[in-house]
Amino acid sequence: MIEILSESALATVQDLGRLGALSWGVGVSGAMDPLALEAGNLLLGNAPDAAAIEVQIFPFQVRFDAACAFAVTGGGGPVRLGERELPPWWCGMAAAGEVLRLGVPKRGTTHGSRAYLCLAGGVDVPPVLNSRSTQLRGAFGGHEGRGLRRGDRLAAGTLGWGARPLWFGIVPPSLTLPCERDGLPAVRVLPAAEYDSFTPASQQAFWAEPWTITPQSDRYGYRLSGPVLEAIAFRELRSHGIVPGVIQVPRGGQPIVQMRDAQPSGGYPKIGTVIDADLWRLGQAPIGSRFRFIEASWDEALAAADETRRWLASIERLVGLHTLGTGGR
Amino acid sequence: MTTEPAPLITLLGTTALLFEPAGETTLSTQQRIWALAREALAWPEIREAVPGMNNLMLAFACPPRSLAPLETRLHAAWQAAAPLPLDGRVIDLPVVYGGERGPHLADVVSHTGLGVDEIVERHAGALYPVYAIGSHPGYCYLGGMDARIATPRRQVPVLSIPGGSVSIGGAQTGVSASAGPSGWNTIGATTARFFDVAQHPPTLLHPGDSIRFRIEKVIR
Amino acid sequence: MPIAGIDQISAWLAATDITELELTGPDACLRLTQGQGGVVAATQPPAPPPPAAPEMMAVVASNVGLFLDRHPLHDVPLAIPGARVAAGQVLGLLRIGDLLLPVAAPAAGEVLAVLVPHGTVVGFGTELIRLRPLPE
Repeated sequence: MIEILSESALATVQDLGRLGALSWGVGVSGAMDPLALEAGNLLLGNAPDAAAIEVQIFPFQVRFDAACAFAVTGGGGPVRLGERELPPWWCGMAAAGEVLRLGVPKRGTTHGSRAYLCLAGGVDVPPVLNSRSTQLRGAFGGHEGRGLRRGDRLAAGTLGWGARPLWFGIVPPSLTLPCERDGLPAVRVLPAAEYDSFTPASQQAFWAEPWTITPQSDRYGYRLSGPVLEAIAFRELRSHGIVPGVIQVPRGGQPIVQMRDAQPSGGYPKIGTVIDADLWRLGQAPIGSRFRFIEASWDEALAAADETRRWLASIERLVGLHTLGTGGR
Repeated sequence: MTTEPAPLITLLGTTALLFEPAGETTLSTQQRIWALAREALAWPEIREAVPGMNNLMLAFACPPRSLAPLETRLHAAWQAAAPLPLDGRVIDLPVVYGGERGPHLADVVSHTGLGVDEIVERHAGALYPVYAIGSHPGYCYLGGMDARIATPRRQVPVLSIPGGSVSIGGAQTGVSASAGPSGWNTIGATTARFFDVAQHPPTLLHPGDSIRFRIEKVIR
Repeated sequence: MPIAGIDQISAWLAATDITELELTGPDACLRLTQGQGGVVAATQPPAPPPPAAPEMMAVVASNVGLFLDRHPLHDVPLAIPGARVAAGQVLGLLRIGDLLLPVAAPAAGEVLAVLVPHGTVVGFGTELIRLRPLPE
């Protein structure tokens, strides 16, 4: 059991997302950095899609009411358990009464903007429509369908000490799965239905110019600033299904990348879609940071997904080998 | 007889594909979309079939290595798709038009050139079949709006409109089921619950049902 | 050197099940052993004093791997000569594939030296860091 000590409405319980409810207007939600969430679960021997707490604002503090194994992955600042500092992407054991503090990222660091606090056995909240992700719009799922508040108490799926060794970590994917263009972080994009309705100059600018994540960006979508994208002829589209990663361009010409809490449908023209395998990169990109779009083919997009899966499998294997000698789970 | 262009199949990343037949938005086309959705849901590559307004998004269970066979199958299934007549109930929704909860009624007036009363009468005068559920939990995409009151979506989406807001976006109308951002023109408000997670299915309305808006009040 | 009361102690021991009794004084150590033949007393030189606390603790590699003096995301080394560290504090990392194992201080101390350059492959038992132990 942990108690939230911080007044932080932007921390939510998430898992890998709610699938199968799109036809009821329920978007997927889930972690903005699903790689970090899954890796944190692997460190603890949890099911890969066990629920965790996504932290977006720092500092964030929790107190462990009982001994509990935990992991912190993703971005953010220095992590302290009591007096001890944890390296990034690390798992440990908290004793009853210990306070875990996710600190403010140091100025100038680009180590990601969202952290994931995983607990042994996962954060134990009831699944709703087959997922523990928080559906903010519908006010259900996660912890009472809302962001966490000071005083909230959350249970871990597994209690106590167990036999697993803890106090080790992994090299983060920002280092092992780099994706850059001209010195800036980059994400791969597949052109979408209305790509050809943009002027050639706009198409070129879309790929060639850096994009800045404006402060009007959150789990629903990232509003970008950069070159104005002009349509050859602006059309109203019929409402249609969309997914996280879809890059819409409203009449103002500044793109909006739909993120995890986006509506599952829309009607603005779409210039492209960030591939699923790269959404975690955007999920970690801080407000004010710049990045590039890279045009990818279907095969390249599938290859990127394969690479991500291989990385997760290698982590699972390494953690398994490391924990083998001490009785495993 | 004119031959319509073939439906467009495009990608939404590696997560889904979008199937868009050409032509005017009609209920009969929507009924064929319902039929196609039911068929595609049985295919191994497909995790979910999500109808939109005369279009269909197919979310992949696992993206196929090669898209061509799936596209061929999809085109063939569309050719063969007969309208699936899902008959349902008619739900009456009382609406307060204009005022604080209808902040964009003036924009509809200035775009259409019609007066408030005529806009309200044309909006409340129709029977709206539920084409699809989408946008947010329980939200219904409706067909059948009078083309005279069509108003383009807003240049800059509004960050939050309350649940129950009745809006016009392009040639469509809809009612929001909960508070959230919207690019549509909000002309009024209704009270009704469209989604209950404890029910199965959790939505109040389904494709095949119809909505009738009843004028409760018009605030100028 | 005679020890006062030794007969009395021997008699007392004989009345018990205790087979061995050791008495340590500042100048001598008396051992009384009870066997089949009765109680035998023997004096011994005082036990040597415990060894002085070591002036240096070595932190060694727990496995084969790549020694890192800082986390791959960070610029600043974890252990700087002269720095005071707490027991359990992470002073370096051992990288095995993408796994990172801690190189931790066995007790509170002061960093004397980091012996291995960042990025060196080390074997099991390689001395990595030297600390001077300090009271906690």
